[in-house]
Amino acid sequence: MNINRKVLALVLAISLAAGSVAGCAGPRGTGADSTGALKNELVLAISREPRGGFDPTTGWGRRGQPIFHSTLLARDNDLNVVNDLATGYEVSSDGLTWTVTIREDAKFSDGHPVTAADVAYTFDSAAKSGGVVDLTVLESAEAVDDKTVVFKLKEPQSLFLSPLIATGIVPKHAHGPGYAQNPIVGSGPYKFVQWDKGQQLIVEANPLYYGPKPYFQKLTFLFLEEDAAFAAAKAGQVDVVYVPHSLAIRGVPGMRLLAVDSVDNRGIGFPSVPSGRKTADGHPVGNDVTADVAIRKAVNVAVDRRALVDGVLEGFGSPAYTACDHLPWWNPETVIKDADPEEAKRLLAEGGWQDRNGDGVLEKGALQARFTLLHPAGDATRQALALAVADMVKPLGIDIRVEGKSWDDIKRMMHANAVLFGWGSHDPLETYNLYSSKTAGVGWFNAGFYSNPVVDGYMEKALAATDENTANKYWKKAQWDGTTGWSARGDAPWAWLVNLDHCYFVREDLDTGRQRIQPHGHGWPFLANIAEWTWKK
Amino acid sequence: MRLEEQTRIARGAHDALVFIAFTARRSFRLGTLLVAVCVFSYWLVSHSPIDPVDAYVDADVMLVGPEQRAAIAAYWGLDDPPLQRFAKWAAAVAHGDLGTSMIFRQPVSEVLLERFTASLTLMGAAWLLSGLLGFALGIIAGARQGTWIDRVILWYCYTLASTPLFWLGLLLLLVFAVWLGWAPVGLGVPVGVLSAEVTWGDRLRHLVLPAVTLSILGVAAVALHTRQKLVEVLASDYVLFARAKGESEPAILWRHGVRNVALPAVTLQFASLSELFGGAVLVEQVFAYPGLGQAVVQAGLRGDVPLLLGAVMFGAVFVFVGNLLADIIYRFVDPRIRLEGSV
Repeated sequence: MNINRKVLALVLAISLAAGSVAGCAGPRGTGADSTGALKNELVLAISREPRGGFDPTTGWGRRGQPIFHSTLLARDNDLNVVNDLATGYEVSSDGLTWTVTIREDAKFSDGHPVTAADVAYTFDSAAKSGGVVDLTVLESAEAVDDKTVVFKLKEPQSLFLSPLIATGIVPKHAHGPGYAQNPIVGSGPYKFVQWDKGQQLIVEANPLYYGPKPYFQKLTFLFLEEDAAFAAAKAGQVDVVYVPHSLAIRGVPGMRLLAVDSVDNRGIGFPSVPSGRKTADGHPVGNDVTADVAIRKAVNVAVDRRALVDGVLEGFGSPAYTACDHLPWWNPETVIKDADPEEAKRLLAEGGWQDRNGDGVLEKGALQARFTLLHPAGDATRQALALAVADMVKPLGIDIRVEGKSWDDIKRMMHANAVLFGWGSHDPLETYNLYSSKTAGVGWFNAGFYSNPVVDGYMEKALAATDENTANKYWKKAQWDGTTGWSARGDAPWAWLVNLDHCYFVREDLDTGRQRIQPHGHGWPFLANIAEWTWKK
Repeated sequence: MRLEEQTRIARGAHDALVFIAFTARRSFRLGTLLVAVCVFSYWLVSHSPIDPVDAYVDADVMLVGPEQRAAIAAYWGLDDPPLQRFAKWAAAVAHGDLGTSMIFRQPVSEVLLERFTASLTLMGAAWLLSGLLGFALGIIAGARQGTWIDRVILWYCYTLASTPLFWLGLLLLLVFAVWLGWAPVGLGVPVGVLSAEVTWGDRLRHLVLPAVTLSILGVAAVALHTRQKLVEVLASDYVLFARAKGESEPAILWRHGVRNVALPAVTLQFASLSELFGGAVLVEQVFAYPGLGQAVVQAGLRGDVPLLLGAVMFGAVFVFVGNLLADIIYRFVDPRIRLEGSV
């Protein structure tokens, strides 16, 4: 009895102690702290950790915002290209020489001016680093004076804009092997303070930054798994958290749901050549059923994309018609009327597909309208999309067998079977890689061996263009020029299905400004407009 | 007197010799073990379907062209034949260089050290907790065999033994961090606080939940084995004899029970280091606790061969040392057991 009482007292004491500690870290319902003042720092759990550290020359910041670094060019909220560190660029008429001038007032966080030498050094290092920065088109980068850099290319490429937009400039005088772990010197809107590996990153506003000053003086990024991040939001310990769709439908007290448009798309890539060939590695190429454009178009037309968004994505998404919906190089004429089984039936009949033996599956000669659709086994969203599409086309007499595989298996099978892929980038290079004859069977690019000389012609012209507008004009024509193109109106080598919304819970009174369309992969791109973020008045 | 002294010195010298022989034998065994483990792991990795370039490029897959992929492969020596790569790696290791991790772009030794220091406290705390708690529960259950408290402990152990660790971690997180708000949600340090300002109290507070979760793995095993052994001991002839002599139950438990069952508990506790290692992987993932576990998972999933082999070697040494310690501790717990080689 005596002992029990002691134990009880101990438990009580422990819980009281724990309770008092918890008191200091309790939920913060609003942006105001205990004194009523608005706090100017945020805690965000929005992204995976860049494990290789924060060195732009090996790939940090390429798909998002390299917050410690500034880039030569940038995209605005409408995704148009604008100057950042650069004051302008000129491309020679042969497209081989790019001359970029940079601003006078830019300084690194240690006070050193940002010079053309730093820029040239950054691109030189990136080309040699064996990282994910693809600069194979770059011949040389040279600083001709303090403020002018000249890039020489091996061949004309309008897409050289992309590395200029994506590569953060590192300081030549402070860059070395340890920089990725400790990038204290940079010229971006924030400066590096501390990185607790596997846990969090702490950054502070850079007082020497030349651009618009952000309101939030300190940001802490937590690297939590999705479930733990959601738990942290529930416990009131974060201000912004990324959540998957399944969690987005559940609310978090004190936070509002922010669903941001994206080109993070999902769609079916079809093999568009007949079977019979093999790749250099010996994997089969081609599929006789999906090689028939009537089948591909019928799937495109029959699928009810809105129903997929509502049913599979809980409404957090939008119908997708191309790989690049609503980006500056997107052709709006590619939007087709879908959820139209009658039109699909007409297309199939026109293509010679009929159900003669009455088994519910169409035939054309000896061929049955039957193919396999692969999806990565662990991805529930893709599985649900694949199954839903199979259900939608079944009444037409198209029999799709859905199979979950590992990516490594898919890599071997993807040239001969339909695959539920997901792409979406702020770089038109992606559409080139998806549809060019030159990239057929190369890595993950153009797995279905799609090829159309007219489309190729437009895309080569887009690459060779010396300004973005001309390039965009040709990118659009490659999708649909009135008679042909790679979109569903043309050859339909893909059936794009949906664009996923990226869902975040943010503090109710946090204003995150105007959000731009996000690329595949959530997180860092969300910060692109961080200078606009503030508390709601 | 003189003779006794001489005998003592002689025995000391003998003990020392035995110990040296024992250490040498064990070191040799460790060496061969490491070689075998490395060769086998490398063989496995080189037959894994993971394409290291794909794994390295990861999400940037559409923006990295074939030439850049070739450049990446060349930079990391991925296009050399497997045997040549292994030979290169082995030669470097022989010179004390474990190579460079692809995914962290840091020397492997640095990654391992950094990560291990971080998980050491977690693993240590969990290990102690599971040992003590498991042993205590096992003794109680064994001593009160068949009573309600025994049944409760058994039920508790069976439930824990069949509970997925990550799920348990999430559950604890939900209850203690989200509902009760007693514990922080993950991480080894407070959110947004500079390292210089992090106190030991902070660290401790962040350690509790992951350590408790991890310890639960070991509790069930130690408790069940201890209980079983104790039940056997209590049914033995010498305990019957002690009872017949009229010794009290607590005295019997202490003199015959605890001493006898301590041995399997110690073995199990030290043998459990490998499980601890595996459990830490899951727990660190759930709580975003910065340990070796996270790094090993990444190395495996992304074909980072140098890091994986480094971690495998490290793990082998870790488990080996655990077993070695168990052997040495035996001597102290039960003087009848001598180190091998002594008679």
